Amino acid sequence: MSGHDSKYFSTTKKGEIPELKDELNSQYKDKKRDAVKKVIAAMTVGKDVSSLFTDVVNCMQTENLELKKLVYLYLINYAKSQPDLAILAVNTFVKDSQDPNPLIRALAVRTMGCIRVDKITEYLCDPLQRCLKDDDPYVRKTAAICVAKLYDINAELVEDRGFLDTLKDLISDNNPMVVANAVAALAEIQENSARPIFEITSQTLSKLLTALNECTEWGQVFILDALSRYKAADAREAENIVERVTPRLQHANCAVVLSAVKMILQQMELITSTDVVRNLCKKMAPPLVTLLSAEPEIQYVALRNINLIVQRRPTILAHEIKVFFCKYNDPIYVKMEKLEIMIKLASDRNIDQVLLEFKEYATEVDVDFVRKAVRAIGRCAIKLERAAERCISVLLELIKIKVNYVVQEAIIVIKDIFRRYPNTYESIIATLCESLDTLDEPEAKASMIWIIGEYAERIDNADELLESFLESFPEEPAMVQLQLLTATVKLFLKKPTEGPQQMIQVVLNNATVETDNPDLRDRAYIYWRLLSTDPEAAKDVVLAEKPVISDDSNQLDPSLLDELLANIATLSSVYHKPPEAFVTRVKTTVQRSEDEEYADVGETGYSDSTGRAIDSSGTTTTSSVTAATKQPAPAPTPPAPAAAVPDLLGDLIGLDNAIVPVDEPTTATGPPLPVLLPASTGQGLQISAQLTRRDGQIFYDMSFENNAQIPLDGFMIQFNKNAFGLAAGGPLQVPQLQPGTSARVLLPMVLFQNISPGPPNSLLQVAVKNNQQPVWYFSDKISLLVLFTEDGRMERTNFLETWKSLPDSNEVVKDLPNVVVNSVEATLDRLAASNMFFIAKRRHANQEVLYLSAKIPRGIPVLIELTAVIGIAGVKCAIKTPNAEMAPLFFESVEALLRG
Amino acid sequence: MISQFFVLSLRGDNIVFRDYRGDVPKGSAEIFFRKVKFWKEDEEEEAPPVFNVDGVNYFHVKVAGLLFVATTRVNSSPSLVLELLQRIARVIKDYLGVLNEDSLRKNFVLVYELLDEVIDFGYAQTTSTELLKSYVFNEPIVVDAARLPPLGPAGMFMQGTKRMPATAVTKSVVANEPGGRRREEIFVDIIEKISVTFSSSGYILTSEIDGTIQMKSYLSGNPEIRLALNEELNIGRGGRSIYDYSSSAGAGAVILDDCNFHESVHLDSFDVDRTLSLVPPDGEFPVMNYRMTQEFKPPFIITAVIEEAGAFKAEVILKVRADFSSNITANTVAIQMPLPKYTTRVSFEQEPGAVGQTTDFKEANKKLEWNLRKA
Repeated sequence: MSGHDSKYFSTTKKGEIPELKDELNSQYKDKKRDAVKKVIAAMTVGKDVSSLFTDVVNCMQTENLELKKLVYLYLINYAKSQPDLAILAVNTFVKDSQDPNPLIRALAVRTMGCIRVDKITEYLCDPLQRCLKDDDPYVRKTAAICVAKLYDINAELVEDRGFLDTLKDLISDNNPMVVANAVAALAEIQENSARPIFEITSQTLSKLLTALNECTEWGQVFILDALSRYKAADAREAENIVERVTPRLQHANCAVVLSAVKMILQQMELITSTDVVRNLCKKMAPPLVTLLSAEPEIQYVALRNINLIVQRRPTILAHEIKVFFCKYNDPIYVKMEKLEIMIKLASDRNIDQVLLEFKEYATEVDVDFVRKAVRAIGRCAIKLERAAERCISVLLELIKIKVNYVVQEAIIVIKDIFRRYPNTYESIIATLCESLDTLDEPEAKASMIWIIGEYAERIDNADELLESFLESFPEEPAMVQLQLLTATVKLFLKKPTEGPQQMIQVVLNNATVETDNPDLRDRAYIYWRLLSTDPEAAKDVVLAEKPVISDDSNQLDPSLLDELLANIATLSSVYHKPPEAFVTRVKTTVQRSEDEEYADVGETGYSDSTGRAIDSSGTTTTSSVTAATKQPAPAPTPPAPAAAVPDLLGDLIGLDNAIVPVDEPTTATGPPLPVLLPASTGQGLQISAQLTRRDGQIFYDMSFENNAQIPLDGFMIQFNKNAFGLAAGGPLQVPQLQPGTSARVLLPMVLFQNISPGPPNSLLQVAVKNNQQPVWYFSDKISLLVLFTEDGRMERTNFLETWKSLPDSNEVVKDLPNVVVNSVEATLDRLAASNMFFIAKRRHANQEVLYLSAKIPRGIPVLIELTAVIGIAGVKCAIKTPNAEMAPLFFESVEALLRG
Repeated sequence: MISQFFVLSLRGDNIVFRDYRGDVPKGSAEIFFRKVKFWKEDEEEEAPPVFNVDGVNYFHVKVAGLLFVATTRVNSSPSLVLELLQRIARVIKDYLGVLNEDSLRKNFVLVYELLDEVIDFGYAQTTSTELLKSYVFNEPIVVDAARLPPLGPAGMFMQGTKRMPATAVTKSVVANEPGGRRREEIFVDIIEKISVTFSSSGYILTSEIDGTIQMKSYLSGNPEIRLALNEELNIGRGGRSIYDYSSSAGAGAVILDDCNFHESVHLDSFDVDRTLSLVPPDGEFPVMNYRMTQEFKPPFIITAVIEEAGAFKAEVILKVRADFSSNITANTVAIQMPLPKYTTRVSFEQEPGAVGQTTDFKEANKKLEWNLRKA
């Protein structure tokens, strides 16, 4: 070795690229190697050294592994931008894959799989086939992963060449490393495929459980994660599985421990014996606690998972609350999670200890942490009735310290305690009132005002206290204003004397005439009217008994908890969100942006001959067809983004092809329709249909295809009750269908005929009969889009007024994570085609916000707000309509529309 | 499964960057750094080790002043990724001897070669230095460790990590000695992180030991090694009561709450005579991790007396007593004390005759520091 690698980063005065070119072609090996290193160095700092492609590839044929690896590294990086030149390397790859040295064979297969160029992919198949059956386990394990790589580039190829079966055979390999990689590859392929590919049978299960013991730690995680999808047949099998997984809890690798915990928790659901369950809980506690002595990053992950586990099985860690006590040098993210768990584990038995801790935290320096600690005390009080008094005395002690933010936080939680235990702890109000002047945060102020109003009859100078707030009424935040309004009304109802009467005048005046806030104004008017018509009724309303609250903050919905527990040891369990909320596969968009980056290179490459351009667009087409069937491709955007012409062409063609079902003859009457009754179910009769809207009229666009042996005639149709009362507007007119022929008809539809009760849903059940066959039933979905009327366009002002006039409860928001808006114009065009009309748009940071209007029959308006970042998956869709029940249907339709 | 792996300096410079799947945009390193640097969400000021920006999940750990980061789009196992990042750091350290920005830059080719073997298509393959040796051919360029600032044990407490960034040795496991001859040696470190909470009256409220037996082997031929532990070692508190132990085993018994072992350790005779047998792989690795909450005598007792010495002044008297025999010395003892936010000035007065002690007031995080070279 000569000198330091860092010297390769230095630049020479002379043109760098030509100089490197000379050195790469040098006949001296050392010089050559150094030159390649310099090229790699330039590459890693982001310099463009793609022009040296030919020269670097020429160095590939070498026995020197070190040099070979460097060249391969370069190839992976630049092959995509130089697909034609990359072909030059194929021969060497194929040769290397048969090299006597297993390291070279593996290296060749590994690298080829990383080059995402279609033309190379074809050459990859034969070497891969060989390497999957190689004698050397190192080569086999590399080849196993390579199948996953190939599947990512071209899934069809993998299935056609039978790689999946070979891969499944590798599960029985005698080398555990090969088994682990085969499992990882199969699991990934399964994830991206709709078909069942990797199903775990009881045989695979036992094979994998055996391999588990000999695997590397990482392999153990792959296997455990794959096995966690397995559903045991009965309690006995579950116990068996658990018994073989339990030793993994002793592993030093946290990932293994957590994956094992996940698996055990899952099987435990099936185990009925309480003794076994109790015993398992006992076994899981120490390893879970040990995770907390790992690095803080791992601790964080462990704590987020434990948070879920204790919600389901509080007994596991019931006696371990001490380990969740914060250490003063824990990072803040660890402390916050520990607090959360301490609250969850707090019980009558340990509350004294816990309170002592919380009190300690409340005197620390970190303000956010202190606040959270004070809140924690309040939450314990709400949770544990018998400890409430002790909690309150701790809070009072803290208030006496007179640290401003502690006092404010304490008042906020005391308000909640009052709501939980009404008429129990009012004696402390006097102490609270002492701190009145120091309150400057809206939430604390609002809480204090609420307390004064609620207990106005027990506070002698309640009117004075409230009055002091009234002076600054117009400047207060909305939250405080609302509380002031309500508190003053309460005061007046409880003490209808002259003072409060004057106050109420001032407040009502302020809250109606002087304010711009519609919530405040509305509430004020309601009080006003109540008070002026019937003060007794007002009393019944305003001073009514309130429902008792409970501590449900951060408590997860049971169905969500179930889903998250099934996802223990994944990101989902850290975010506490289901996977589909954050996993988006937008491969095609990413690739496009990359293509743009290389646009200049690509174009010069293609402009050589038009023939080649067509040829290569042909190959892209095939690949994007598979892409489109595998995952929703982003909507094609009519105004073409610059560059990458062949790819775009490919996408468009690919998309069209993808919609066409394989053996559907396209008739001239319109685009193909989705098949609702396949020929296999309909004794040879295939019915395809879809609701459409044409010239303001709803039609049921139907196509009948007779694959039976006999002619069919006498068709009739009937629709079941549905949410919109859709029914046939006339008889179904289908001519006699000879065998092997098809007919397409437009059936006019009418609305509001047979409306089904209950909340609206999209189900449309259809019955069709003919003279030869039994009655066929099938169901379709009503897309809200066909209901949008042509007169849905609104004036801007009208839109704003309608928006304001509808209560907030009528606003429904949904995230559509899988939708990408690539161009505002294209999206608007598409929406307008379905009678959703553009009103206005604005930009907010990097987001585009679009406002649209639509109208469904009977003149019900739908106001739409779409928020999206151009080119990034995920659209936030908010709608406001008098008929909020319609929202789920709306989102479903819009999502389908925007995804194309 | 991960998409990218990269190492950033604390200034945000890209030191190493490897893309394994091409499904995360290239600018991810910059997006990550900006997010971490200006983190302010849920009122927390420090970015959690796992977060999501625009559909990309970022994992990171801090090791030796560097940020090791991985990205992914799918719902992978965060404990796996974080553990993997720690292991990558350890493998690189095994190879380079020291882990810092300089050594990474000087050895970037070797690091890329390692990364290719450690991860394939985003899947962890192996992180065993021993195994990697047969696949990796570049030799490390050793960076002079003497120029490095010493990372004392105090550094370990600051980061809250258990594994010390640099234990006994800072030489590469693969590089040869300058003389060409390898020295046959093995280092065994016992690192214990002791957490004790005293009440203001001096009673011990909680006490806990997190320990690791760490090994770093330079032995050639990989011989089998036996490590004998205290025979009166018991694991787990459950089952029998504490009195059983004290009556049968006397005062010498050690009760571990829980422990785990490295995968190379054979536990065949562990139950019989508490010996571990193992063939130590090359590189640094933890033989055993353990945790105990059994009562023990803390090595130091600290007492603090606070007196108000005026309207805007307080006097603190800090005393530390070493509670172990006088033939043992403790090196680089550091004592920190958080002070109220409104502290503006601190003056120190040391005991007469104190040697090798320094005191400091860290204005930025309002902490008082007292360092003793020996105690």
